[in-house]
Amino acid sequence: MSGTFGSLNTALTALQYNRVAMDVASGNVANSTTEGYVRRRVLAETIGAPAVPAMWSRYDGAGEGVRSVGLGRMADAFLDMRARREHASQSYLDTRRMSLERLEGGVGEPGDTGVAAAIANFRQSWHDLANNPGGAAMRGQVLARASALAEAVRIQAAGVEAEAGDQRNRLIATLAEVNTVASDLAATNESVAAAQLTGTDASALLDRRDALALRLSELTGATATARADGGFDVTVGGVALVTGNVAGSLDIASGVTPTGGADGSPVTFEVNPGGTAVPAVLRGEVGALTDLLNTTLPAYGAGLDAVAKSLADDVNALHQSGYDLTGTAGVALFTYDPADPAGSLAVAFTDANLVAASGVPGGNLDGSVAALLGGALDAEQAYQQLVNGLGTEVASSQRLAANQQALTAQVDGSREQLSGVNLDEEMTLLLAHQRAYEAAARVMSTVDTVLDTLINRTGLVR
Amino acid sequence: MAITRVTQKMMLQTSMESLQGQLARLARTQEQISTGRQLNRPSDSPTGVSVAMRLRASLADQDQYSRNAEDGLGWLGQIDTVLSTVTDQVRRSRDLALQGASTGANSVAARDALATELEQIREGLIASANANYLGRPVFGGITSGSLAFDSNGVYVGTPGAVNRTIGEGVTIRVDVDGAAVFGAAGSTLFQQLDDLVTALRTTDQAGIQTGLTALNQALSRVTAVMADVGTRFGRVESANQLAKDATLGLTTSLADVEATDLPRATVDLHMQEMAYQAALSATARVTQPTLLEFLR
Repeated sequence: MSGTFGSLNTALTALQYNRVAMDVASGNVANSTTEGYVRRRVLAETIGAPAVPAMWSRYDGAGEGVRSVGLGRMADAFLDMRARREHASQSYLDTRRMSLERLEGGVGEPGDTGVAAAIANFRQSWHDLANNPGGAAMRGQVLARASALAEAVRIQAAGVEAEAGDQRNRLIATLAEVNTVASDLAATNESVAAAQLTGTDASALLDRRDALALRLSELTGATATARADGGFDVTVGGVALVTGNVAGSLDIASGVTPTGGADGSPVTFEVNPGGTAVPAVLRGEVGALTDLLNTTLPAYGAGLDAVAKSLADDVNALHQSGYDLTGTAGVALFTYDPADPAGSLAVAFTDANLVAASGVPGGNLDGSVAALLGGALDAEQAYQQLVNGLGTEVASSQRLAANQQALTAQVDGSREQLSGVNLDEEMTLLLAHQRAYEAAARVMSTVDTVLDTLINRTGLVR
Repeated sequence: MAITRVTQKMMLQTSMESLQGQLARLARTQEQISTGRQLNRPSDSPTGVSVAMRLRASLADQDQYSRNAEDGLGWLGQIDTVLSTVTDQVRRSRDLALQGASTGANSVAARDALATELEQIREGLIASANANYLGRPVFGGITSGSLAFDSNGVYVGTPGAVNRTIGEGVTIRVDVDGAAVFGAAGSTLFQQLDDLVTALRTTDQAGIQTGLTALNQALSRVTAVMADVGTRFGRVESANQLAKDATLGLTTSLADVEATDLPRATVDLHMQEMAYQAALSATARVTQPTLLEFLR
């Protein structure tokens, strides 16, 4: 049987609980726009009869009020996992799309300034020379157009190389961020474990843990698994990066030098300490950068090299079959370094008299070779295919990124639906608890009046 | 997806995303209108860009064919003019030879006068044979010199065809071989005129008859060449017209592929603008009210 003052105590627990509830609501309102904040709920429990049955001292009270047993964090581990996966895909596709768009912008097709236009101009200059093989102006024009063509090809090759250089530097910076985030996560794991042990509220730490794990997934496509102590273990490509309070570092094993240069081999990664090679393909930003550096950019560069080589070889073969103004057999018009045809394409000579327009030896004004050089080149077709391929790739990466955007938005929406703060809801809760608080206070004064009646008026007859 | 719980942040985010989407569409239409092109980069339409690049290459080719043909017309026109002069001169020489051949009617002095005129005609013919187009002798083949025949009527050109490409894989010869007009070395028109002059001066009737025959042959030769040149002129002219027509057609096709459909783009722009404004006003309405405004 509860004591005389038990009712006061019941009202007191109500006052305490409702105050905490109002605090939590106000905390939710305060953090309604904080990134990564998950709304909290006070978990309440009725203080009732003891759970242990007893024969001789039975509890015969009517409940002892209420108590808060902790804060509930309105998060769903499965949704979070899904969000990490979708965000990893999103950042992979976005990074890839942006790099490809830059590359595409540098190509300058279709238009009057690209390589295709330069080839057309070059061929026209040969036709003009065929019409007037003796004209010094026409010969000079052939050389000028050839230089312009070589330069257009070189500029594009340099653009591809510059893009690869940017991506290598970005990879280094991204890995630095990965390692910072990983060590932050390890530190957070430790704090979470400590908080769990001491029983303090770890919600803020868990928010931080989730945000860091999400960022790691965006950066590397890492997967996180929950630990018994509340922390996250993180693996990248199947290799453990963060285990409890220990963080490894994700480093470049090959492909990029510390200063951002290329070392000739494909980009691979290892996790230190231990130097464990990362076998699987990474996702996220790092994965996109790796793909760009290992596959996409080299493929476009090789395509451009093939175009430059075919162009130079075809033109040279025809040019060498001709004879220049003095009747000497023609020399190669274009030179290039076989290791890097597109980046080193150049015109071999500057003397306009060496341009071989004639198909007949002996110094005459035949223009048959010039007319042949004005004809269609295989390189043109190959270049169109190359540009077409790039355009298709860019368009597909844009489409994929847009589709993924819808998916990511949907998952984010689901998370927000569960974890987001609704101001109206918080206001309503605040009001409800305010009323409950007022009622509890009224209970207290009622009990007080009752006790006053009992203590001060008992036996008094007036 | 059944939305069971909506938060202010969700609405804001959705609004932001749709506003961004609207703006992106607006920017795209604006780009199409301001550049006048719907293909601004390969990814706008990879196949369209391929077609555009092919069309541009063909356009440049056809343009060039037309220029080549016009150059060829210059050559052939010049040759035609020269050949009609040559025909007149050969015809006049034949008249003179006929006069010389009619025995008895002519004194020695008269024959001498005929011979002198024939010599002058020969000079004129050599000048005609050295006629040039833009500095190149039209009967000199591919010579780099400025003469096809020297002052003695000896061929000094380099035999070879001057060709013009007037279509895809179509080349046409735009010069005439000097020998085809003026006879092969050893029996050139100039040599035959020389012999005729000598025959007139020496009253060699047989020689005059030989010269007369040679001149008749020369006349039919020149006429045949003129007919050939006329035919070629016609071919080049029609090729030029074809190339010009193709240029027009290709330009239209290129515009179809590459250029912005302005009326449609403008209508699109208006619609997108309206949609954007509607989204803006909806965002403004949705983000304002909260319960707070109704609690007192």
